[in-house]
Amino acid sequence: MTAHAEAGVLSGRRPFFRDQWNAYWLMVAPAALLMAAFYFYPLVQVLWISVTEPSPGLDNYAQLFTNLSIRRTLVTTARICVVTTAITVVLGYVVAYVLVHASPRAQRWLFLGVLVPLWISVLVRAFAWVTLLAREGLINHALRDAGLIDQPLALIWNELGITIGMVHYMIPYAVLPLYASMRDIDARTVSAARGLGATRLYAFRRVFLPQSLPGIIGATVLVFIFSLGFFVTPAILGGGKTLMVAEFISLQILDLLRWGLGTMLATSLVLFIFLLLAALARVVDLKRLFGAG
Amino acid sequence: MADEARIGAARSTRSLGWAIVLFLVLPITIVVPVSLTDQRYLSLPQDGLSLRHYVNLFSSAEWLSSIAQSFVIALGAATISVVTGTLCAIGCWRIGSRWSELVRVLMLVPIIVPTIVYALGLYRLWVQLDLLDSYFGVMLAHGVTGIPYVVVIVSTSLASFDPRLEQAARNLGASVPYALRRVILPGIMPGVISGAIFAFIHSWDELVLVLFIASRTIFTLPRRIWDGINEHLDPTMAAVAAVLVVITGLLLLLDMRARRRAAE
Amino acid sequence: MREEQTFAQDCAELLRDELAAGRIDRRTFLRGLAALGIAPAALAGSGLLAGEAAAQGAKPKEVVLANFGGDAVPAFTEAFAKPFEAQQGVKMVIDGSGPTTGKIKAMVDARKVIWDIIDSGTGQAYQLGEAGYLEPIDYSIVDKKKLDPEFAYKWGVINYYFSTVLAWDSSKIQGTPTYADFFDVKKIPGKRMLRRTGLAMLEPALIADGVAPDKLYPIDQKRALAKVGSIKADSLYWNSGAESQQLMRTGECVMGLLWHTRANVLERDTGGRIKWTFAQAILQPGIWIIPKNPPAGAAWANRAINAMQEPAGQVLLLDRMGNGPANPAAASLVKPEANRANPAAPENIAKQIKFGGEWWMQNQEQLAQAFLDLISS
Repeated sequence: MTAHAEAGVLSGRRPFFRDQWNAYWLMVAPAALLMAAFYFYPLVQVLWISVTEPSPGLDNYAQLFTNLSIRRTLVTTARICVVTTAITVVLGYVVAYVLVHASPRAQRWLFLGVLVPLWISVLVRAFAWVTLLAREGLINHALRDAGLIDQPLALIWNELGITIGMVHYMIPYAVLPLYASMRDIDARTVSAARGLGATRLYAFRRVFLPQSLPGIIGATVLVFIFSLGFFVTPAILGGGKTLMVAEFISLQILDLLRWGLGTMLATSLVLFIFLLLAALARVVDLKRLFGAG
Repeated sequence: MADEARIGAARSTRSLGWAIVLFLVLPITIVVPVSLTDQRYLSLPQDGLSLRHYVNLFSSAEWLSSIAQSFVIALGAATISVVTGTLCAIGCWRIGSRWSELVRVLMLVPIIVPTIVYALGLYRLWVQLDLLDSYFGVMLAHGVTGIPYVVVIVSTSLASFDPRLEQAARNLGASVPYALRRVILPGIMPGVISGAIFAFIHSWDELVLVLFIASRTIFTLPRRIWDGINEHLDPTMAAVAAVLVVITGLLLLLDMRARRRAAE
Repeated sequence: MREEQTFAQDCAELLRDELAAGRIDRRTFLRGLAALGIAPAALAGSGLLAGEAAAQGAKPKEVVLANFGGDAVPAFTEAFAKPFEAQQGVKMVIDGSGPTTGKIKAMVDARKVIWDIIDSGTGQAYQLGEAGYLEPIDYSIVDKKKLDPEFAYKWGVINYYFSTVLAWDSSKIQGTPTYADFFDVKKIPGKRMLRRTGLAMLEPALIADGVAPDKLYPIDQKRALAKVGSIKADSLYWNSGAESQQLMRTGECVMGLLWHTRANVLERDTGGRIKWTFAQAILQPGIWIIPKNPPAGAAWANRAINAMQEPAGQVLLLDRMGNGPANPAAASLVKPEANRANPAAPENIAKQIKFGGEWWMQNQEQLAQAFLDLISS
């Protein structure tokens, strides 16, 4: 709140700040300064290690192309993240869609359902899945008791288990931005299309979907980036056989003392995402994605 | 408007939506039977139900202090993130230049960079600033890393907010702060609240940074759970989870009631 | 300031010599220090200076022992911290915040070391020690007679024993399986469980492949990894001890290689369904290390390590957590019924294979990656 006050006072006193753009920059300043001082400054110092350890130069980056373990880890990570993101965004979209169209009462219950999982530690959730999906877990027991299967299904300790766990974790993170953007779509536009004789599906596809696109892109980018940094769930539900890039980096830093290699991968990850966003910017208007209307 | 809109949701879509929400909730409900287990490790009850893990939770100074610590830290961190993050999102949205876009894209970096890498840098900086193992140190670290979530979510909300509304208010003589308070903020409130929830939970569930910058004073809930998991999958964490689920549910129900009463 | 301090230190050294020669007693020594304005408590405050002074023998405010938390914090407090405090008059604190290798490096690099002694292992000791992040163990203070000299290394010294044992689900397997059975999924179907870091997993693989137990080292890595790879499709890998327990308890795996402490608890929790054996188990040392420039000073860290070799505390730790006493003199103090799960009991030592610490020191870092590559491909 002080920041607004400051902006107000300054804009009143000094002619320089009368320009409203400067007032807006003042609004950006607190976050930007905090991030610069307490995030980017320490981070850049660490990322710098990627060109200094163990020897100065780009040797660590060469490993990106020569090191087989890195390549395998990256392929696994990409596969899991793409699948997770795709499923998550579709399911999240359905939930958000139902949410905006529900009665206030139903909305409350749906929100309860979306928000409750967020309160449960990711570790507890992973172990809840183990209890459900394991060989002697609840689901296999139920299926066996119902006479549907003889042998327990392999629901866990593979990428199926990882995907279930990750999608479950990510859905709320997709629903919230999707809901925020859908909520402001003018329902009358859809009604109008329907009134003009469009089928439900057609009206949705031509009127609602395009308007919800910023939410979709926002949720996709968020979930994808988020799942890149994931490793607790994959490590537990994958039976120790799945190695994702975030855990790979963590191992290099915490256990193997190959800080150069670990920070190189982190730097590459950032560059890769930025290239991806730049490519995305050619197709869709990134300004729309980030709310410049 | 709600009534008109509801025309758009087919019954099948609605069922699917509810089914997905059940998929979110049902696995979580397993923490309730697990928290009542009679065993000393995370499992379903075997020979009967037992409240011992609840007794442990509410009589153990360690668990209670961890919950309190996490709550205070998450509250402080979320405040930092929401106030600065919302301002930043609005500022960038209004400026809409290349530079403000750069600011917003840079905000994605903390979500991309694996936390452990930042933890290393944070540790070095916190040594210099003498912030290791302190409430303020953890709060600041969580608050700063929570800003991007708020910026991204509030920005999404702003994307569908008509900038002409603010322009109109300004033309009528409203100052920037006034337009902010009376026009923009009410319009994007759901986004701000979502952002606040994210920021709070980001801190509430954060483990990697805490493991690096905390030692003897700061023992947050995730660290306590981590400790219990490494030891023997301590079912107390299921009791914590069950209590949290009930509290979240109660709060939302209370809110629902208050709204109904207000409507009457 | 600097000069003054050096002088004070010089005086302190003088006092210490006096003390050592028996010309003054401890009380006089401490009073002398106080007179010099280097009260022990103030000295231990923080920083290198305090560390240096403390290295001269001044009493630190406290000695901090770092481990990985959980029950080990109260157990170490009972077994080590309390006796140490009573005996030396210096407080000992157990910090369970998890001394990972990376964190130790960060701490030493930042010149902000907060631990004096760290509960560690051979691989970590060697890796950190060779990189210059540790103080060597001072064997003029740590008495080698109180331990197996084989596990007294330059950068670390044994405090307790643990063992990697074979456990199996007796409801699915009759009799006592061998390592050969473990690696033969045709003979005994069902999932196997191994440790994800690969530590002490290669020895069982080689024995199963026909290598004689006394010819394991140097380990033929290629051969061992091939054997581990041969049952990859039927294996799960644990990260934490608790996870290893869960995988066996819930019937997910029929056989597993895990720590004896966990196997013992499993046997109890499952009413004997899970059985385990010390036969050909890998007997490993829990290694204690001292980070570079510890706050209490290297001398006090060594002194504390030596004090913790006392049999009484080690036997208490066996009762509380199952860690085997490193001091051979403890054997006579252990209750006979506790020896069933005591890896350090002479009859159990005879059954086990002694961990080749020297080989693992040189190879663990590179092997951890190779093992992970193997299981994640």
